[in-house]
Amino acid sequence: MVDFVQNLISGVAVGCIYALAGLGFVLIYKSSRVINFANGQFIAIGAFVAYALAVWGKLPVLLAALLAMLLTAGLGFLLERVFLRRLVGQPIISVIMVTIGLASVLDGLMYLTPFGSGNFTFPQFLPQGGLSLGGINVSYPQLLAIGFTAVFLVLFSWFFQRSVLGVSMRAVADDQMAAMSVGVSVQRVFALAWAVAGLTAAAAGIVVGAVSGLNQDGLIAIGLAVFPAVILGGLDSVPGAVVGGIIIGVLQSFSTAYLDGLFSQIGLVGGGSQYVMPFVVLLVMLWFKPHGLFGTEEIERV
Amino acid sequence: MRNPWAQTGNYRTSYVQDTTIFANYREIVSVVLLLVALCVLPMFLERSQVLVLNFILIYAIAVLGLNITTGYAGLISVGQAAFMGVGAYTVALSAPSLPFWLTIPLGGFTAAIIGLIVGIPSLRVKHLYLALATLAFQEIFVWVVGRSPALAQGAAIPVEMRNFLGLEIGFRNHNYFWYYVILFVLVLMVIAWRNLLRGKYGRALIAVRDNDRAADAMGMDPGRTKLMAFALGAFYGGVAGGLLAYMQRAVVVEEFTLSRSVALLAMAIVGGLGTVVGSLLGPAFIEFLRLYVERLSEWMKSNAFIQSITPAGVDVASALLPLSFGLVIVLFLIFEPRGLYNWWRLLRSYFRTWPFRY
Repeated sequence: MVDFVQNLISGVAVGCIYALAGLGFVLIYKSSRVINFANGQFIAIGAFVAYALAVWGKLPVLLAALLAMLLTAGLGFLLERVFLRRLVGQPIISVIMVTIGLASVLDGLMYLTPFGSGNFTFPQFLPQGGLSLGGINVSYPQLLAIGFTAVFLVLFSWFFQRSVLGVSMRAVADDQMAAMSVGVSVQRVFALAWAVAGLTAAAAGIVVGAVSGLNQDGLIAIGLAVFPAVILGGLDSVPGAVVGGIIIGVLQSFSTAYLDGLFSQIGLVGGGSQYVMPFVVLLVMLWFKPHGLFGTEEIERV
Repeated sequence: MRNPWAQTGNYRTSYVQDTTIFANYREIVSVVLLLVALCVLPMFLERSQVLVLNFILIYAIAVLGLNITTGYAGLISVGQAAFMGVGAYTVALSAPSLPFWLTIPLGGFTAAIIGLIVGIPSLRVKHLYLALATLAFQEIFVWVVGRSPALAQGAAIPVEMRNFLGLEIGFRNHNYFWYYVILFVLVLMVIAWRNLLRGKYGRALIAVRDNDRAADAMGMDPGRTKLMAFALGAFYGGVAGGLLAYMQRAVVVEEFTLSRSVALLAMAIVGGLGTVVGSLLGPAFIEFLRLYVERLSEWMKSNAFIQSITPAGVDVASALLPLSFGLVIVLFLIFEPRGLYNWWRLLRSYFRTWPFRY
C-alpha cells in the first residue's frame, strides 16, 4: 500500500510536467488547429536556457527560470512570426509539417551547443529531503512540480475567464470568422498562443531540471509523451491536458513498478515499459475514443 | 492531332484521354530513355557510387508509398520508417527459409496489415489525428524491437543471399546485382502506383482529401478509402524495407527510427507531394544533401581552425544533418510547396512550348 501511494505520488509529479507542457500545446491546437511537433524542443530549450543562465550566468535559479520562460516564449512568438504566419491560408497539413521541420532545425541548433550531448544538473536550490507522512515521502522537487502546475492552472483559468486577451483567444478557438468580424486580431492570438506554448513548455523543462537531470534526448522524449497526454484529455481541452498529463504520469510510474516484470514474462526483456505505455494508450484512445475524455466531438453539418 | 511529335499543349478532350498514362509520344520516349540510362548507369560507376544510387532508389519506393498516404490521401505519416522496419524484419526472419522474390512481397504484406491496424482511427477522425497514430506506432515499433530477443534487441541480424540462379553474389558484384533488382521492383511499383491512382481509386482519394463530406455524399466511403491508402503506403514501405535488408546484408533498428521517418517526409515534400517524378527527385536531393553534409562535417573535423572555435562537447556532424533536413522541409514548404517537381514541370514546359513563352 505504501509502495502504491509512493508510486502514485511520483507519477503525479511527473504527470504535472506533461500537464504543463500540454497546456501550451492545447492552446495552439485550440486557436489554430495546428499540432505542434516542436513541443519537445521547446521544453529542452527552456530547460537549457535556464541552466545556462543559472550556471554560466551565475543568476539565482528562480530568476534564471523566469528569464528562460520569457525567452522561450519569445522564441515561440518569433517562430510564429517568421515561419507560421507565412503559411496562413495554406492547407493545415503544410503547417503541421512545418512544425516537424522546425523541430528538426531546433534539434540541430541544440546539437551545435554543448547541450547536445551529456547530462546536466541544476544547482541545488531546494532543501534536501522532503515531507514524510506515515512512511510516504514526498520530495521537495516533486512538491515544486505539483505546486508549479497548480499555480499555472490558476493563472491560466484567470487568464481565460477574465482577461481580454484570454477571452479573445477563446473566441478565436470557437469560431475564427466570427471572432474576426467582431474585431479580434486573429494574428495576434496565434502569435500569443505560440508564445504561451513556449512559456509553459519552458516551465515544464525547468521542473524536469528540478526533479531530475537534463539531457536532450530525455527532454525531447518528454515532448513526445505529451501527445498521449493531450489525446487522452482531448486535444482541445485545457483541463483535459492537465488530467491527461497526470494520468500518463501515473501510468508511467505504475508501469515501471508493475508492468516491467509482466513484459519480461512474455519475452520482452530489458524493461523500460514506461517509455512505450503512453504510446499504447495513445493508439488505443485513437481507436476507441479519439476525441479524448474532455475533447469536443466535432459534428459537421453540411 | 496530325503530328503528335509537334504537340505543344494539352489536347486531352475526354475522360479516357485524361486518364492515359502518357500524354504524347515524347513522354513515352523520355521514359524509355530514362530507363535505358538507369540500366547502363552502373557500368560507369564505382561500387560505392552504386551504393548511393541503391539507397536513393530504395527510398524512392518508400516515398512513393508516403505519397499515397500523405500526397494523395492527405494523412501525415511520421511512421513510414517503422513500416520499412516491419518489412525489413519480416525479410530477416523469413530469408533463411524462403527465396527473396517471396520474402520481399511478404514484407510488404505484413507492413500493409499493420498499416491497416494503425490506420483504424481514420474510420472515425480526420487527418490530424492520424499523424499521432503513426507517431505512436513508430515509437512502439522501435521499443518492441529493442526489447525482443528474437529480433536481436535491435542489433544487427544478418540477411544473407549468396547465390541467385547460379550467379555468385559476392563482395564485388553485390551492389550491382541489387541495383538491378531494386530498379526492377521500383519500375513495377511505379507502374502499379500510376495505374492505381489515375483511375477510380486515385480520384476517390483526391476527393476524400479535398472534401470528405462531399465525397461521402457522392457515395465514397471516406474512412475505407483512407484506410486503404494507409495500407498501400505501408505496403510500399515494407517492400522498400525488405530491399534495404538485402542490400545492407543486415537489419539494424537504427535504420527505422523517427528521424528516418522525418527524413522520408522531407524527401516527399522536397520532391513534390503526390508525383512520381517527385518521388525520385526528393530522395536523390536528400541523399546527396546528406552525403555532402557528411563530407562537410568531416572537413570541419579535420580543419584545425574550425576545431579551435567549436566549444568542447559539440559534435558538428550530428548537428548539421537534422539542421539541414529541417531547413529543407521548412524552406520548401514556404517557398516551393509543390517541390522540385514544379521546377521540373516548368523546365519541361519551357522546352515543350519553345520558342513561345506559354
